[in-house]
Amino acid sequence: MVFLGKRSVLHVRMSSEVVISIRDMKMRYGDQLVLNGINLEVQRGQIIGYIGPNGAGKSTTIKAMLGLVTGYTGTIQIMGVDIANGDVEYKRKIGYVPETAEIYETLTAAEYLTFVGGLYGINEERASRKAQSLMTVLGLEDVYNSRIASYSKGMRQKVLLISSLLHNPDILFLDEPLSGLDANSVIIVKDLLAQLAAAGKTIFYSSHIMEVVEKISNRIILLNHGEIVADGNFEQLKNISHEKSLEGIFGQITGFLDHQEIAQECLSIILGSVT
Amino acid sequence: MKDFISLRILDRFRTVFEAVGCDYPIMRKILQAKLTMDSRRVPTILSRNARRAPDRNGFLTSLWVYLFMGVILIPFVVMGRNYLFQMSVVFGILMFLVMTSMISDFSTVLLDIRDRIIIATKPVTGRTLGFARAIHVVIYLTLLTTVLAGPSLLAAFIAQGFWFGLTFALSLVWMDLLIMTVTTLLYLGILNFFDGERMKDFINYVQIGLSIAMVIGYQVIGRVFDVVKLRVVLRPAWWQAVIPPMWFGALFAELFGRQSSNLTMILLVLALFVPLALFFAYVRFMPAFETRLEKLSATTTHSPTTKHGWRRNLARLACRRRDERTMFEFASIMMGREREFKLKVYPSLGFAIAFPFILIFNPAWSQGLHSLGSSHWYLAIYMSSVMIPTVLMTLRYSGQYKAAWIYQVSPIEHLEDVFKGTVKAFVYQLFLPVYFIEGLVFTVLFGIRVIPDLTVALLSMLVYAVIAFRFLRKGLPFSEPFQLAQPSERIVGLILLALVGVMAGLQFLVTLMSGAIYWYMIFLVLANMIAWRIGFRVKGINAVRLGA
Repeated sequence: MVFLGKRSVLHVRMSSEVVISIRDMKMRYGDQLVLNGINLEVQRGQIIGYIGPNGAGKSTTIKAMLGLVTGYTGTIQIMGVDIANGDVEYKRKIGYVPETAEIYETLTAAEYLTFVGGLYGINEERASRKAQSLMTVLGLEDVYNSRIASYSKGMRQKVLLISSLLHNPDILFLDEPLSGLDANSVIIVKDLLAQLAAAGKTIFYSSHIMEVVEKISNRIILLNHGEIVADGNFEQLKNISHEKSLEGIFGQITGFLDHQEIAQECLSIILGSVT
Repeated sequence: MKDFISLRILDRFRTVFEAVGCDYPIMRKILQAKLTMDSRRVPTILSRNARRAPDRNGFLTSLWVYLFMGVILIPFVVMGRNYLFQMSVVFGILMFLVMTSMISDFSTVLLDIRDRIIIATKPVTGRTLGFARAIHVVIYLTLLTTVLAGPSLLAAFIAQGFWFGLTFALSLVWMDLLIMTVTTLLYLGILNFFDGERMKDFINYVQIGLSIAMVIGYQVIGRVFDVVKLRVVLRPAWWQAVIPPMWFGALFAELFGRQSSNLTMILLVLALFVPLALFFAYVRFMPAFETRLEKLSATTTHSPTTKHGWRRNLARLACRRRDERTMFEFASIMMGREREFKLKVYPSLGFAIAFPFILIFNPAWSQGLHSLGSSHWYLAIYMSSVMIPTVLMTLRYSGQYKAAWIYQVSPIEHLEDVFKGTVKAFVYQLFLPVYFIEGLVFTVLFGIRVIPDLTVALLSMLVYAVIAFRFLRKGLPFSEPFQLAQPSERIVGLILLALVGVMAGLQFLVTLMSGAIYWYMIFLVLANMIAWRIGFRVKGINAVRLGA
């Protein structure tokens, strides 16, 4: 099932097991309402493309699920447990790649990954072995013992991905996980995500690159002004909006249609016709 | 990662941490990662020939400077039996140095929001993370305190006996506890009321304010005691209860001196219980502190319109070349906005205002204000130049140093313009305003006759700015990351400080000859013209920093 428009709530059922459940979540920063009643149920094995314009409330939702943000109303349950109960145990089941790509870059990949593994409670030896194998498979064996500061953006991104997977989590929150990766690595990661989902992992994927979201997600959730305004798979969204691409759907639903005019205006400013 | 000695010491207290609800193995891992990172310097993006620096902690290398300062404290501990006075002074100095270091060097550790994303998203409780953060700071505080108080502590054991030494040592632990908790609780309080950018600004001003307040407080402690008649007499007053160094002074007066009184008893109780009470409050509020930190990363969308008209006009007035003007405007905005920069620099502006007055305070006190009029004490205004090397040193650094790639891609013809524009921006925006305030008050104190002298002093300091620039290591403005401390620069700083003395001495000699001051003034005008014309020509750096 699918819907477009505000405040109607329907869910796509794929398998019965609900891993994330958000009910009537509202959040305000000062006098600004960032989230205006989010209702969401995510089943095991879904790859969710979580999209929306900047400021729509995407990262606030993700941060809340990771326990970074408090002060919302409504409930968030992960694997059936209300995360507001003060117990951080549920985080053991989550892997996270932050959009800001924060990493302790003065550490080597070896040190960073065993450290993160340690925070998840994996013993050093095991974390190190796993990390090294993943680094090798992803073509980074030579730099395993170099400081992350010397890495390229793509290499860092791979380290972040590895750090989110070391503890074999059930749910992955990935915020722009492909940023900086070269074309071949993108293919690897995309395939990996599909296989992870097939293995029963749930992936919460947030990105501004619509082509990728279109291809890898089997469910797309579009957020605008703190509300879910579309929820369904790509085919369903296409049928309803009569747009061919996710980019078009995105533009139509968020009410952004005059991109050509804007580009035209930019050009004339650059060429100097406007003083 | 290395197994640090500090961590092995910490292991002995494992049960204590576990008793207060902290996941010790996880905390230890976090600390180990942090200490490893501290031991490595952040490589500068711009230095192509990135030297492979050995694992070395920048903070540790600066400790010997503190050791030297610590030696100065020895006489206060051994010289007499007036413990209330002596130990208050000792603790005043210690608290001043430790607290300023805490605020300027470790605020970033306390308020590190990277931890939120990297660590708080893992199964780590807010309490464990909070403790890791606190212990991280405590390790450095302990080192710093040990080095600073080490010499006097040793002297105390020898000269005043075992029990005195032991009390001193325990008081130091208590003092660190006090400083640590006060700072954190203060931040927590601020975090409660503000969010986003406004809060960062507010914290910034609190930090600056605290640093300046401590300099003034440090003066106050000297005034509490009437030192005039050689006999140090304490005049008891209720407000002494708010000066923490006196709490510790009172402790020694009670235990070892025969100076017991109601007041010292009250102060003693404060010394014992305030840090403890604050510690419990701290443990209680720590998880709250962790979630409040999230506010720091919140983005604010509204943007008030700012006018740069005056800045542009000032740049036109000060600079002839276009690139120089551009740099002037840019540097002037950066100096006004970048918090880390303000934090490092604004306290020294406060000192620059305060030092000259502190210097003339004693003669004014003992011989009366009217006696100043005919004296040479106006030369104290040279003390305001202490800010010049500090600011020039700091101008290289920025939190956003990586953005300095812009220098590499933009067609800057003469590097000279970059430096000259930046230094001029500093002179116009920070130095001249401070000097004029100072000069105004000095004119009131010393009479109109000192105006030529103050002009000469100003001209000397402007030449001095160029000299200081030449002496200090040159780097593109805002192009390097802030580091904990640069000990080698401090030595250059000391040499430059000596130069200020030479300049003041020169002016003193000139004033001894009647009329010579005007010739000297003309000489300085010429010197300025030459210095500012050729003083910023930089050759070598071109190849190093901007070359391919």
